Amino acid sequence: MNVTAPIEEREFKIVGKSVKRDDVLEKVTGEAEYTGDVKLPGMLHGKIKRAATAHARIKSIDVSKALAYPGVKAVLTHENVPRVLHYGSPHPRSASCTKDQYILDDKVRFWGEGVAAVAAISEEIADEALDLIEVEYEPLPAVFEPEDAAQPGAPLIHNVGPGGNLVLDPVRVNRGDIDAGFAQADFVLEGTFSGGRPHPAYMEPNVCIADWDGSNKLTFRTSTQTAFMVRGILAEVLGLPLTKVRVLVDHMGGGFGAKQDCFQHEFLCALLAKETRRPVKMEFTRHETFVAGRSRHPCKVWLKQGFKNDGTLVARDMKLVYDSGAYGSHGPGVTIVGTNAATSLYRCENVRLEGRCVYTNTPINGAFRGYGVVQSYYALDIQMDEAAERLGMDPAELKLKNVVRAGDIAPSGHPILGHGLEICLQHGIDVLDWKKLRNRDRTPDPKHPHISKGWGIGCEMHGSSAYPGIKEQGNATVKVNEDGTVTLLTGAAGLGTGAHTALAQIVAEELGVRFEDVGIIHGDTDVVPWDIGAFASHTTYLVGTAAKMAATKVRGAVLERAAMKLQVTPGEIDLSEGRIFVTAEPGRFMTVAEAMGPSRGIPAANIVANGTYEPTKSYSFAAHFTEVDVDTETGIVEVKRVIPVHDIGRVIHPIAAQGQIEGGIQQGIGHTLTEDYIIDKKTGRSLNAGLVDYKMPLSMDMPDIETIILEAAPDPGGPWGAKGVGEDPIIAIGPAIANAIHDAIGVRFHHYPITPEDILKALREKGA
Amino acid sequence: MKRIVELTINGEPRDMTVDTCRSLLDALRDDVGLTGTKKGCDVGDCGACTVIVDGEPVNACLMLAVEAEGRTVETVEGLQPGVDTLHPLQDAFMRHGASQCGFCTPGILMMAKKLLDDNPRPTNEDIRFGLSGNICRCTGYTKIFDAIKSAALEMEAARS
Repeated sequence: MNVTAPIEEREFKIVGKSVKRDDVLEKVTGEAEYTGDVKLPGMLHGKIKRAATAHARIKSIDVSKALAYPGVKAVLTHENVPRVLHYGSPHPRSASCTKDQYILDDKVRFWGEGVAAVAAISEEIADEALDLIEVEYEPLPAVFEPEDAAQPGAPLIHNVGPGGNLVLDPVRVNRGDIDAGFAQADFVLEGTFSGGRPHPAYMEPNVCIADWDGSNKLTFRTSTQTAFMVRGILAEVLGLPLTKVRVLVDHMGGGFGAKQDCFQHEFLCALLAKETRRPVKMEFTRHETFVAGRSRHPCKVWLKQGFKNDGTLVARDMKLVYDSGAYGSHGPGVTIVGTNAATSLYRCENVRLEGRCVYTNTPINGAFRGYGVVQSYYALDIQMDEAAERLGMDPAELKLKNVVRAGDIAPSGHPILGHGLEICLQHGIDVLDWKKLRNRDRTPDPKHPHISKGWGIGCEMHGSSAYPGIKEQGNATVKVNEDGTVTLLTGAAGLGTGAHTALAQIVAEELGVRFEDVGIIHGDTDVVPWDIGAFASHTTYLVGTAAKMAATKVRGAVLERAAMKLQVTPGEIDLSEGRIFVTAEPGRFMTVAEAMGPSRGIPAANIVANGTYEPTKSYSFAAHFTEVDVDTETGIVEVKRVIPVHDIGRVIHPIAAQGQIEGGIQQGIGHTLTEDYIIDKKTGRSLNAGLVDYKMPLSMDMPDIETIILEAAPDPGGPWGAKGVGEDPIIAIGPAIANAIHDAIGVRFHHYPITPEDILKALREKGA
Repeated sequence: MKRIVELTINGEPRDMTVDTCRSLLDALRDDVGLTGTKKGCDVGDCGACTVIVDGEPVNACLMLAVEAEGRTVETVEGLQPGVDTLHPLQDAFMRHGASQCGFCTPGILMMAKKLLDDNPRPTNEDIRFGLSGNICRCTGYTKIFDAIKSAALEMEAARS
């Protein structure tokens, strides 16, 4: 049930303060244990043989030489692994994923797909054994672009799904009357937009360790955002009850959405360990994180909108085509979320949207921060800038006029409650003195005549939770111990965002104890309550509310116990900062430890409560203002300043929230200017699967970021109005940069990344 | 072929028996058990494995373990001056939120230590340049810069 009560105001003691995070001491001392740091007795090393072809049928695999190689303990191929068709991304109870994968198949669908796996006594021996596996392929015609894959007669990559290489039936959204809308328009803008294939490039390569015990129980350590989903799909595919699969994850080195699939190597690791009856570790090389990891869906967008001369938007017609790569993974979810998102951001009553997702013979695209919305809002926001130009209006003014308002129907289909976009935009306009910036003297600095400066604005909104695609459930268990300390059990993953700290802050605040008194247990599916996984910007909103609900319950029980001991009624006492006192006589009190501990005739006790929360969705908002320098001689764009103005409702931990925003901007600058995982369109080979050739913004490239967080529009669905922040920052920065480049050199770009070559070519064409 | 390598790690004399082809990174992590130093790419691109060898920062994945014979290696595990005390950089990284997922943190801490040892009053540009070989994908670097500046001031104050 969604919480719709008014948001409680109180004087916060712990919420809103940047307390010391529970996980950082271990991180700065080197003690933090990541999956790859674990070494089990007798552990073997697993490696995967990857296909050197993009589309082929396997005629034969000869593993005899590999099996005979000293130190090799097992080799798996499609001939000796269970053949179970399964979901790539195992979100439960949802239609957001496609069932199109086998652990190993007799068909290869992209260059780099695993065709066999080896376990050996060392990584080196396993690697050497891969070269001894002989695979004979029957080549099949391959398609690398969605346009080609969608042609009639194109080679079919799968025989499941709606056909025609579609991952799912086209997603269609209609609101109002599109024809009547265009009939009212004074002018129409039409354009095509496209986005590259940015890769999340988390620092910790994917890694897992499988270990079976004598009772046929699998203990599986893995770097995942969704431990319970991994448990569920491993159990399903391996034919085990959930009691026989235990997934462990302690620290993880980032994920950014992409570590929420159950990967091929995870099944293979479990099967190699089963076959050899020894623990097996499988660790990706950096190259494999690209080839066998997940990237953002490349996307082509066609957008046509009708405007009135006063700037009112009267019609929006949009078609999006997402490139899923060789498997469905999150293609359905991304297409549904990215398409539906375009109903909103800028108000328009007459909307017709169509989103398609198409298989190609390229590495798999999946979930990555921004989840389909990066692509659709890039087009919406840039075209809004173009409309302002056409109208001779300031884009800030036009955006302010058209941004969604409270009560408007959100992409999720329900009215927006906590609405903050207008406030973010206005706040940025005011603090920057935007009008003055627009009307600034544009004469180039005589010392740097080749540098053109520009300013741009990008807007975004993003939901906390995956509703309505997934009706989510958040859980938390809170225990008050005999000494008055508190244990919070959560299934939410610790990607590095500080989410566990935020949950503990919420519990401490609600219960009335110190933050230091709350211990956090996480990362063991046999121990903690079920969790849907850390994604969709929802942990603080979803699990935070569940934790608050559990804390409310234990608080009541602690007060009852204290009342008995103080010989008053629970209504006469209160609990704050670990002290329980009689409201009318604050001098009469006991500590939580005294309430919980033993006293004459009353043994010590433990009070336990669960919180379960099934929300709809809240929306967070941001307007990003950015200044760029465009070097007209080299084509290099340097982002100089970013002023991100975010509304995320109640802020639980300010430094952690800022950290999310600043990191999201780093990744957003990356995909807008330099990052693109390139697949050769003739062979399907990866051309830049490494951290030098895949160019991310690093310390020398980062601009000054002056983060502003407003608590303007709390949502009643989150704890004290808190909303998500994880994905928002990566969405707004892209169009802000593209709009700033236009402001600098008068050229519109409709794609990302916008490379120096693109800038120079455009300047040449403009000059000519 | 295996060889015994004698060296000093975090002030302690050690010997390790390693394959001659083994990287210092794998030797530290697997043979010595110092897993604080991370493997992010194994080809010298990311800086997560930065350690200090004879006073110079090194990508441990690009150095053979046998090359460390007779040398002094410092890793993140040796950064704390005492059991209950932290290096000012460690403390500043915690306060400023400079560590998110934490995977790049050990390498960045070692690089920052070297930076401040050589240059106690770094400018913003010095810090940016000093970290140009260390990839952080979570923080946008902003809070890492803040933490290093703050630690520099603290260390300066402690000296005077």
